[in-house]
Amino acid sequence: MIEFRNVSKTYSTGTEAVHNANFTIEKGEFAFLVGTSGSGKSTLIKMILKEENPTSGNIIINGKDTTFLKPKRVPYLRRSMGVVFQDFRLLPDKTVYENVAFAMYIVRATPKHIRRQVPMVLSLVGLSGKAKMYPNELSGGEQQRVALARALVNNPSMLIADEPTGNLDPETAWDIMTLLNDINMRGTTVVVATHAKDIVDRMKKRVIHIDKGIIDRDDKKGGYDSEI
Amino acid sequence: MRYNVLGYLIAEGFRNFLKNKKSTGASLMIMCATMLIFGLFFLIGQNVNYMLKEIESAQGMQVFMIKDATEEQIQKLGEQIQSLDYVAKTEFVSAAEAYNIVKERWQEYSKALEPYTVEKNPFKVSYVVTLTDLSKSEEVRAQIAQFDNVSNIEIRDKTINALVKIANGVQWISIGILVLLVIISIFIIANTIKLTVHARRKEISIMKYVGATNGFIRWPFIIEGIIIGVIAAMISILILGASYNFVVHKIMESDITSMINMTLLPFNQIFTLVIAVYLILGIGIGTLGSAISMRKYLEV
Repeated sequence: MIEFRNVSKTYSTGTEAVHNANFTIEKGEFAFLVGTSGSGKSTLIKMILKEENPTSGNIIINGKDTTFLKPKRVPYLRRSMGVVFQDFRLLPDKTVYENVAFAMYIVRATPKHIRRQVPMVLSLVGLSGKAKMYPNELSGGEQQRVALARALVNNPSMLIADEPTGNLDPETAWDIMTLLNDINMRGTTVVVATHAKDIVDRMKKRVIHIDKGIIDRDDKKGGYDSEI
Repeated sequence: MRYNVLGYLIAEGFRNFLKNKKSTGASLMIMCATMLIFGLFFLIGQNVNYMLKEIESAQGMQVFMIKDATEEQIQKLGEQIQSLDYVAKTEFVSAAEAYNIVKERWQEYSKALEPYTVEKNPFKVSYVVTLTDLSKSEEVRAQIAQFDNVSNIEIRDKTINALVKIANGVQWISIGILVLLVIISIFIIANTIKLTVHARRKEISIMKYVGATNGFIRWPFIIEGIIIGVIAAMISILILGASYNFVVHKIMESDITSMINMTLLPFNQIFTLVIAVYLILGIGIGTLGSAISMRKYLEV
């Protein structure tokens, strides 16, 4: 599903963010990308999203080498992945329903499809009752659920989460993580970049650890620091 | 493109247009100024061209025949000239008529004509030839010069040359001004739209992550530019139309027109063209301006 082959990334400033990364995340897998800030995990996420291109090596997504993907094709690649961020990135002047529907609008879904799909995904994230509220009327955890609903509404085959719990208190963070697990159980590949040690330890999922741009550990059922 | 998508893009375009009222207003004013200045030169140019056409039909050349041309020779030359391309009309001027014309026009020198009479004078008979296309006058002159019994040909082109020069001058000046103003307008519109783009950068980044194509992201902003352009065009047409009508009426009422025998283009005849030019300008400037402002923001 996601495969990195000898991927290195050096920014134009000269800093090498990722050095010779090799890993494969299979379809239906749940994987944590862990490391301190500045370790290179954000760069990895950006390269999966094709926001950044690798300096060398190849990235294969859904069996296709995206390294030399034409910029014109990038939007279609992104439709196969949902993405959530630490800061939720919701539109403040749109309701919960509109925020989610927006994602369907811009991939040109039919109004009929939108009317059916949005309530379904809102109930999946447990926000059926809050469709008409605005983001500033919701708690942080609820806002992240909206972001998740938006990421999932177009049925992507994978979900990329960049520090999804960074702005949340531990309990809410855990709820979001369980939700991510539920989503994974339904067949979506989930990749979570995080430095929330306790959550990673509790989830007992695959952990890819990156330090100073080098992947130094890849445990099938690991903890943040080492195998448990 | 599906209907709902098109509707969405246009609605978003209007929303952008209404969002930054100040800078949108500034763009509108600059575009109106551009269009009005251009319109002024355009109208002057069109009117000079129109006058030129009017004069062209009245002007031409005078072909003088040798001193003692016979009736037969005069008849033959008249037919030959009439058969040429670009000749609109030939008019015969007898020696007697020439005498009278000169006598009337130069009354103060009438003494010089005293030795002569209407019946007996040194004037040559001639044909006044008017042309359908003045630019071909050299060509026609060369052809007439080949004919028998032609003594000399005078082209009455001094006034025309001056007018042609004015027309060309006006044309070049208006093209120059147009280019300059269009460039300025494009950048001012680009700046306005940049503000909207900046205000909506979060939305744009979300759109990019969800997989919106560049075209889809760009359209509302292009529509915003087009709306500004079209509204500016409409305002300019109203202002220019009203002022043109006013000025034309003033000129027609005054004595100037009868003095220099000037006719102005009527409003209706010129304004379909002005409207078309303005709409093309407005849409073109709007589209280009927004395209420029979007370039940077689409690289995510």
